Amino acid sequence: MFRKFAFLSIALGLGLLVACAIVSPEPSFAPVHPQALEQGRPTCSDCHGTDRVKSTQKSFASFDHTPEFIANHKLPANQDPATCAACHAPSFCADCHGGKTAMLPSTKLGNRPDREMPHRTDYLIQHRIDGKVDPTSCFECHGRANNEKCTACHK
Amino acid sequence: MQEVLNAHANHGSVFRTGAANGGWGPIMSYRAHLALVATLITGTAWGQEVTATSTTIARTWRQDTPGMGQSTYTPATEYLGVDATRLGLDGLSMHLYGWGASDLADASAIGGKQAGNLTYGYLQYDFGRANAQVKAGRFTVNQGVGNEQVDGITARTDLRFGFLVSGFAGKPVIFKNLSNNHQDDNAYEHDFTYGGRLAWREAKVGELGVSYLQDGSQPAYDLGLPGTVVDYTRRELGLDVHLTPISRLDVAGRTVFDVNDRPQAAPGADNSHVAEHNYKVTGKLSDQVALTGTFVERNFFAYFAGTTLPSLFNQNEQGMFRASGASLTWAATSKLQVLGDLRRTDRGNQGDTTRIGADLRYALAERHIQAGGGYHQVNGFTVASVDTAVPTYSLSHREFRAWIMAERGAASASLDTILLHYDDANNPSLNHHATQSAVMGSVGYQARAEVKVSGDLSYEDTPLYQRQVAALLRVECRFGLAGKGGK
Repeated sequence: MFRKFAFLSIALGLGLLVACAIVSPEPSFAPVHPQALEQGRPTCSDCHGTDRVKSTQKSFASFDHTPEFIANHKLPANQDPATCAACHAPSFCADCHGGKTAMLPSTKLGNRPDREMPHRTDYLIQHRIDGKVDPTSCFECHGRANNEKCTACHK
Repeated sequence: MQEVLNAHANHGSVFRTGAANGGWGPIMSYRAHLALVATLITGTAWGQEVTATSTTIARTWRQDTPGMGQSTYTPATEYLGVDATRLGLDGLSMHLYGWGASDLADASAIGGKQAGNLTYGYLQYDFGRANAQVKAGRFTVNQGVGNEQVDGITARTDLRFGFLVSGFAGKPVIFKNLSNNHQDDNAYEHDFTYGGRLAWREAKVGELGVSYLQDGSQPAYDLGLPGTVVDYTRRELGLDVHLTPISRLDVAGRTVFDVNDRPQAAPGADNSHVAEHNYKVTGKLSDQVALTGTFVERNFFAYFAGTTLPSLFNQNEQGMFRASGASLTWAATSKLQVLGDLRRTDRGNQGDTTRIGADLRYALAERHIQAGGGYHQVNGFTVASVDTAVPTYSLSHREFRAWIMAERGAASASLDTILLHYDDANNPSLNHHATQSAVMGSVGYQARAEVKVSGDLSYEDTPLYQRQVAALLRVECRFGLAGKGGK
């Protein structure tokens, strides 16, 4: 019993030592953007030019909030959530990616037409067309969650 | 929050996680979750920076469905969020967000008269170096192939030599597979999920990552359920890449493999394990112009693996989806941005679709005015109908949208219009109504720094519900010190 305990303690200690040794000594990314930003979508490269975000090794231009970035923000949000978190509270993501939602995001934020909200106006008709053109586009959000209303018809 | 809890207590489905039906299981589970939420809320007392946000929305609309009469809905919804930082320790924080809703007039809305959801509620510790972070509670995982709402724990850290590692484990919040049963009846199928991602970063290269996800401790078809021939257990492997060798070039994307062994797939099905290729390349041609190309390919059999809605996302459906596109972003002036885009999609023997159009966006920051608009034409393929009177119909349509929003002092206003015109009114979904339109207006008043009241009025003319007027009253409150928000 004692031998087993000693072995586990040593293994755990060595494991922690190795883990600490291989952890990066670099300071973490700033939790909050140091300056207040203007209203609207920020263009990071306007101020940061061709610099790179030290913690991600990517250019600041990669995070410019262009229409293309908004439409394809999945990957940068996936790889660099700390960069998003410098300006956005977690609830910002939950506006659309809430899992189970009380109403359409475009209804909840009907006073913010500037935000790219999915399924504006009554989507029941349009989804019969979009779903035929590309059923995989529905799957990303409704394939494993947030599909209680789908089952009303798609039993 | 009481409303959220009441809604959970009445609705039940959210808190009945993993326990068998009946007995003490669901009650204990409810109490455990209640204790978790109570602990999180009382924990805010330790916080030196606490931000609480509340959005109360009351809506009413009358729905006129041909042949089904009129119904009036008046649901009230409360969204509540709390973010508390420096909970005794500088890096310790708590984040909570959920909603509860009750229909004040009619209980016929899908989901019942009352509903609610704890979207997330977790404790988080951020270390001062290596971007190291630990979360415990209910959170949304966003790591490689893992995009899941989980009750569990997750951690990540940067390592030396450009490596970083992250992982998670817990219970999926939503895991229902067989649509007509309560998800607890199928707890064995997706009762546990775990995954992780290992990546490497290098300056002037970018980032390369490999990730894995698995959920379900037992495959469904081993359980002897009649008619269950597909193993819904998910085992996914992902490779992701984000290359930025120079600031003007950005290459990003991922490939996902379904690595589960599926020996009982339907005869003749495409058994490829490559679920998805999804890539884009963006080149900044100048400071004002950027060109983006995209390519997507998804194999239904592998991509739909692990769905909780197999009746809709059928793994046994033959087929592949491909799409390629290009977009050109032009910052014409510091205030005007133009986006032109073209996308061609291919659903194999079903047909091809082309979508082409442009969007404009105008921002006059100093006067707090923003406006935008767009037009797109979709040339869709023709599909077969079950209606013998209309054997086929086209999916082609046109989309138009224009919006404007402005602020002056404490007052704000916005207007949003959408018009959809369908080329083939014989589409049985359209009830011979070739257009769908909506106009939504909103006015708001920032009564105090922390309180804003706004009201929306919308008018819709749709093929399904015909003319519909809806009103919404929104009260947004924000109390606290933290600097960032949902803007």
